Amino acid sequence: MSSANEYAIVALGLRKRFGELEAVRGVSFKVRYGEVYGFLGPNGAGKSTTVGMLITLIKPTGGEAFVAGYSVVREPVEVRRRIGVVFQDPTVDRDLTAIHNMLLHARIHGVPSRIAEERAWELLEMVGLEEHAYRPLRDYSGGMIRRFEIARSLLTNPRVVFMDEPTIGLDPHARTGVWDVIRELKRRGVTVFLTTHYMDEADKLCDRLAIIDHGRIIAEGTPSQLKSKVAGDTLYVRVEDGGVARLKRLLARYGEVKDAGNGLLVLVANDAPRLLPEIISEAQREGVRILETRYTRPSLDDVFLLLTGRRLRDEGGDWRFWGRRVARRLL
Amino acid sequence: MGEKGSTQTLIGGSEADKPRLKALGVGVYDPGFARPLAAMMHRQLLRFRYARSRLVNAILFPLVWLIFFGLGWSAAFNMAGGLARRLFGGLEYLEFLAPGIVAMSVFTGGFGSGLGVIWDREFGYLKEVLVSPAPRPALILGRILGDSLVALFQGFVMALLVSLVAGFPGPVGFVLELIAAYMAALASSSLGTLIALKMRSPEGFHMVVNLIMMPMLFISGAFYPVTPLPSWLKALAYINPLYYAVDLSRGLVYGVHNTPLLLDAIGLAAVTAASLALVVKEFSRIYIA
Repeated sequence: MSSANEYAIVALGLRKRFGELEAVRGVSFKVRYGEVYGFLGPNGAGKSTTVGMLITLIKPTGGEAFVAGYSVVREPVEVRRRIGVVFQDPTVDRDLTAIHNMLLHARIHGVPSRIAEERAWELLEMVGLEEHAYRPLRDYSGGMIRRFEIARSLLTNPRVVFMDEPTIGLDPHARTGVWDVIRELKRRGVTVFLTTHYMDEADKLCDRLAIIDHGRIIAEGTPSQLKSKVAGDTLYVRVEDGGVARLKRLLARYGEVKDAGNGLLVLVANDAPRLLPEIISEAQREGVRILETRYTRPSLDDVFLLLTGRRLRDEGGDWRFWGRRVARRLL
Repeated sequence: MGEKGSTQTLIGGSEADKPRLKALGVGVYDPGFARPLAAMMHRQLLRFRYARSRLVNAILFPLVWLIFFGLGWSAAFNMAGGLARRLFGGLEYLEFLAPGIVAMSVFTGGFGSGLGVIWDREFGYLKEVLVSPAPRPALILGRILGDSLVALFQGFVMALLVSLVAGFPGPVGFVLELIAAYMAALASSSLGTLIALKMRSPEGFHMVVNLIMMPMLFISGAFYPVTPLPSWLKALAYINPLYYAVDLSRGLVYGVHNTPLLLDAIGLAAVTAASLALVVKEFSRIYIA
């Protein structure tokens, strides 16, 4: 397995079946050292189960994976010595202080105490919690606990850090705080594997990502590679009722136009920022009064829509939720 | 943290790379057995320090037994006079009860250890521990040792209180009583933890613990001698660690016992070792799914 040495994570056809439900159905990917790699997918897509297998807590029913060069199936302890994990739900001792939680983690992982203490403070400072080090974690907010857990996961100086939905349930401010910390890890060259169902998060943080749905990877690449799968930008132009027909003719030169009613026309075309001023001046020349214009760039959500026919945000109460509950209960 | 990039090619799966890796010491640590064990033990002591309600609870419960059960029956048995004294091996009822109450407080305290495991799962801390490279037996043994130390401290306070009511058994008796109680606490912590590992909810845990703990308390010989019991109940007493602990400490303190003291000691050690072995085996399952 030569490739296992060059990559932080190598997954080869990983599978996991819970009774009737196959939560992960043959997932293969490679993550290079120093990369931030994301798993983007809706709830119940198999993200947490995949993480569970990679961090050696869930036994794969098929396939194989290597983390930091070690087999998750045959050498789980060697894998555990080299990873940091931030679980989806908090995993702290809420009755103890941050510094106690840190030092316990160090001792359980065998970090020598002189190194542990120094690094614990350095990491608490990195996530902006050094002033709260002596407070019990039950007094922490969700965002603070998450930042604390990221800091704790780095105490062993791990080769690879796993973060399962690191910003789920956090308010926008706290999310930004967590993002900053992840960017800092990237800067320091830490390999990060993260799962998320927020497309903006995946877009902003990941060097590369895999879109996962129903236990399978349906697309993989850099965020811009994935977005280029979608035809182009979407432009919205609203005009006075009288001008609709004339504007439609004008827009048809650039691409396919749809009439959304109420004077709103929708055009899908490449390079909207260049196109929009041109359209406005053309319309003025023709005497059409434009009331409103805007455009959207393709998002990962559009990519997901293109690939699955569903939106990421749709969260129906179907069988996938059962799978998610199973995975959450276990992890 | 900056050394990551330069050393990454050395972090490999091949056997040849491993010794070099160790020499470099790039954040790959070996926890060993003793450190995680000590850490988990320390954690339980820290938790106790931060949760005083547990101390109050652990002292109040046996104290309620001693006062409302012990004093009540003591008064009633005094009416029976010599007959009652014969039943209790020549002891006053309160004297008879005293070693049992100490063992009981430690024993029930130990069961509470299991509840901690339930909460650890509920609040996720269990996963934090399970994903570490530390040997699972070290983690669970450390936890049980810590919890039984806490229980022992409760027993110490209880033994002092009981001495006020039933008379001080002398320093040697006092210490021996506590050692026997500690063995019982190890056994009950293991049993409590074992139940907790099999249970999902705190409610389920309480139900099962009460179902198991109450009979264990009653056929322990703490409240009444087991000699007159029907033989099937007596048979149950012989797999009850609390029975051995009570008989042993009563024998050591007052010289009144039902089973030979050596047999008590061996029985207690055997049941405790068996429960510890069971819980270590259960906790050492590698995967959670």
